Amino acid sequence: MREEALLFGKTKSLVGIISDPTEARRSNRLPGIILLNAGIIHRVGPNRIHVKIARTLATVGFAVLRFDFSGIGDSKVRDDNLPFEESAVRETQEAMEYLTATRGIKRFHLIGISSGAIVSYKTACCDPRVIGATLINPASYGDELRSYAKARRYWKNALSDPKRWAKAITGKANYRTISPRLRTVFSSRRKALSVASDIAADFRSLIERRIDLRLVYSKGDLGLDCLDVILGNELRELNRRGKLKLEIIPQADHTCTLLESQQRLLKVVQNCAWAMVQGDGIGPDFVASSVAS
Amino acid sequence: MSIDTPGAGIEPFYFGTDKKLFGCYHAAQSKVPRDCGVVLCYPMAQEYIRSHRTYRQLAYHLSKFGFPVLRFDFYGCGDSEGNCEEGRVYQWLTDIGSAISEIKERCGSVKTCLVGLRLGGTLSMMAGAERGDIEGMVLWDSVLSGRTYIQELAILHRDRARHSLGKAKQDTADERPTEILGFPLTDLMLADLQHIDLLSIRQKPANRMLVIASSEEASQGRLRTHLKSLNANVDYQNVSSPEIWIEKNKTVVPNEILKAVVSWISRVYP
Repeated sequence: MREEALLFGKTKSLVGIISDPTEARRSNRLPGIILLNAGIIHRVGPNRIHVKIARTLATVGFAVLRFDFSGIGDSKVRDDNLPFEESAVRETQEAMEYLTATRGIKRFHLIGISSGAIVSYKTACCDPRVIGATLINPASYGDELRSYAKARRYWKNALSDPKRWAKAITGKANYRTISPRLRTVFSSRRKALSVASDIAADFRSLIERRIDLRLVYSKGDLGLDCLDVILGNELRELNRRGKLKLEIIPQADHTCTLLESQQRLLKVVQNCAWAMVQGDGIGPDFVASSVAS
Repeated sequence: MSIDTPGAGIEPFYFGTDKKLFGCYHAAQSKVPRDCGVVLCYPMAQEYIRSHRTYRQLAYHLSKFGFPVLRFDFYGCGDSEGNCEEGRVYQWLTDIGSAISEIKERCGSVKTCLVGLRLGGTLSMMAGAERGDIEGMVLWDSVLSGRTYIQELAILHRDRARHSLGKAKQDTADERPTEILGFPLTDLMLADLQHIDLLSIRQKPANRMLVIASSEEASQGRLRTHLKSLNANVDYQNVSSPEIWIEKNKTVVPNEILKAVVSWISRVYP
């Protein structure tokens, strides 16, 4: 494994590190892996997990690029007025172009934690070069969906808790905190369900394109509640039929901080990589061409 | 017309023996560069991640004022080679030496100023005292005692693990911590850190020094007194600012402190 620091993109101002496999491990049938920023944490990722993921996957045979979106980490702020949602997708595409130009890689698997997962999914939706995405704790689908999922979780927990029922019946409940949460459920429901329905349609379209879609959640993460609003009962069926792969990491927070949860996350990513090495999730035509050659 | 923005004109690269260390070089942005290269030494682990944005801003401002700046990741940290488990104090002191050689080679300046927050400051002072050739040094809320540092971090780790990290089994207070907020603490690293005591250093770390404290906490005042006893020319500033290395302030860039650091270095190295 070898690492190189680079400046790339249209204005040569995006800072990234590429981890290349050794010559012996290099394979032109494997997709390139791109790791996307989690929030404003620079490209090393929360708890340096991007570095660990990149080095692990490069050892298996993948070329892995981790980089900073403009204005994050070491990358320069953009000169235009593009909103982050658009510039992040565009810059991910510039990362793909860089890997194509310098490594000849034409297909990609994107990995992102939290907001990085959202950019991964958005890029996968609009770019056919993306053949797989590992979305780790995606939750920032927009304020309405998040607030609705949060309020819905509160009510689910509250309604199944005998102690809270007892408080409500005996008049000991704190109605000042209850009523805003109740209002949120009703006020944001319509908009949240509309957003959720659009995202569900996007997921179905990715599945139709046979994208290797892997959803990884920390147990109890709000992203799981969002996913429940988005796909509901369909989720179990899609997972059962292998159309998407759902993994839950127990005892982990949103960014898998503890070493034990980092190990579990690494294992999930490593398994995904091994599946790709064995031909799973890299597209049937790709496998066929590599078998023929 | 293009507006100069943070992140412009930087060069990311690997350097040192076998190119193991990652650094970002900010060339001086003024027509006449100053004859002093500045090396920024990061703190460790979670504190490194939380201070990255602030360090980038500090490097940008210093380069605008004519200083060539190198900020770099220690071995086993950030983008540098090595696993977190491999971190050792002697290695990190060697890394500071490599960074000093690198900036001297790049900008041709004779003088070097080290700037470090928390453990980055501690390592700067240890390196300076060991080498004896450092011109300037900024110690920002440096860790004075490794033992106290470990105790404080262990408490933080236990509190966070209990409240938000989803850990069922808790380490008890007298158990030796094996990790601090997602970063390993090996036996060797623990032993290295426990030996750190800045107040026992007997050599002057640099000719000109600034001790900067973001709170009224007494330890930084003790450091100033100690440095004076070593005949160092020390300035001390208390600039009330959020402690960016703790969780709740992790997105803050403490501009008042950055201004104080840039203005002190600019004054001392005109």
